[in-house]
Amino acid sequence: MMLRRIAAVLLRHAYETRHNLDRLTDAIYWPVLDVIMWVFFTSYLRQGDRLHASATNILLGGLILWGLFRSFQRDLAVGFLAEIWSRNIVNLFASPLTVTEYIVGLVVVNFIKAAIGMLCAIGVARLGWSGSLLNALPSMLPFIAILVLFALAVGVAVTGLIFRYTTRVQTLAYGIAGLLMPLSCVFYPVAALPGMLRPLALALPTTHAFEGMRQVLSGGGVSMLHLWSGLGLTGIYFALAVKSFRTVYEAARRRGHLVKLD
Amino acid sequence: MKHLTKRFGRVVAVSDVSLDVRTGEILGVVGPNGAGKSTVLHILLGLITPDSGTIRIFGRSLEHDRQAILSRMNIASPYAALPPRLTVQENLSIYAMMYGIDRPRRKIAALLETMDIESLRHSAISRLSSGQIVRVNLCKALLNDPELLLLDEPTAYLDTEIADRIRQIVIGRRNSGAAVVYTSHNMAEIETMCDRVVLLRAGQVAATGTPIEVTNSVLGGQRQVASPAEAMLRVGWVSR
Repeated sequence: MMLRRIAAVLLRHAYETRHNLDRLTDAIYWPVLDVIMWVFFTSYLRQGDRLHASATNILLGGLILWGLFRSFQRDLAVGFLAEIWSRNIVNLFASPLTVTEYIVGLVVVNFIKAAIGMLCAIGVARLGWSGSLLNALPSMLPFIAILVLFALAVGVAVTGLIFRYTTRVQTLAYGIAGLLMPLSCVFYPVAALPGMLRPLALALPTTHAFEGMRQVLSGGGVSMLHLWSGLGLTGIYFALAVKSFRTVYEAARRRGHLVKLD
Repeated sequence: MKHLTKRFGRVVAVSDVSLDVRTGEILGVVGPNGAGKSTVLHILLGLITPDSGTIRIFGRSLEHDRQAILSRMNIASPYAALPPRLTVQENLSIYAMMYGIDRPRRKIAALLETMDIESLRHSAISRLSSGQIVRVNLCKALLNDPELLLLDEPTAYLDTEIADRIRQIVIGRRNSGAAVVYTSHNMAEIETMCDRVVLLRAGQVAATGTPIEVTNSVLGGQRQVASPAEAMLRVGWVSR
């Protein structure tokens, strides 16, 4: 793996961001706007003690961390789609760039974008409401890591599906997070789900990340059960995603999809 | 490449194709649409995996040493574009970094001057004409001074003057020792530029040799024609 070629992928996306305002609005504008709206809403609910302060933290924390997961997963796949839309795939993969270097480059780009978006959202939440989100951030870092790694696994899997089924499945890049959201228990505990859905929810690393986040924000400390369950599941999904990506990438080369992805 | 075969479902794109290109040689690959020319180029880049056959480039197996081989090759193709919002300079800087070019700004400036597009350095690709885009793609293809240069119809969208300049650049590369694989529908340029020609038809090698030898092969030596171009036009294997 060559750092120079990974840096070239970073440079390509830095230039794209400079010329394409969509990239900036996706990374910063929407997460910040979401938080502003929720700060107003929770401020209203807190009037007359209709909402406990820790519940406000939990709602805002869920919103911010879900935004991180959604944007990281989506932008990984959209970054690849951008190469298809601009018909740049042949030039990219006809160069010495390996597919691993390309994916690592995309991950770094999107990690930077998601981190900027998350920090802006937390900053706005702190400005709008003097909660303790920022103070709780260090304890939430392991759960944020689970979300980032699982988003990476989902993004890699979706990118693999685009290699296999071309742009016919590009809607997955935008839609799959929505499919996972109800089961991930972003704003409510697993106990709030119907019994038959709970095993499905507990099979998702995101559920453990949000359960863990709620415990931290409620002052209950870091839940080791949710931490290790989340990390273990993320490891399994990540291994499966990488394995499936390699399989579909080779299949795409055999079927000639790499040169006819649009 | 030896005995290369590639099927897409029931369609045989390339069947038992063997060809070689030597240093300091321009190999023309010609044939009607769907003959398998682009498939051959994409297989040479490892973008399509063949069903059978072997490919060795610079004495190495493409299957095992793809990255090392690709760093010494390059391609310009109408099927490969560059990100449209990025400027010419930005696009070329990215590929200069990927190929590990020393002093990239100087190299890019020299190539832009050669292609007569220095004034477009800070223009977005989306604002260029098709002929200008072809020249930017050629700059990309020449960034790493490739020892093996694949050119897929490089003069298709160019006016006569620029096309002539491109041909001179390609001939210059050949004279400096590079191997060039050149596909084109323009038989006149194939005749004047190529040292050898491979004629593909329905994914198979129909004839190979010098342009004159291919002409004789196409017509079986039965008729006199003014040129190989005329011969291939007559049998309908290329368009005018």
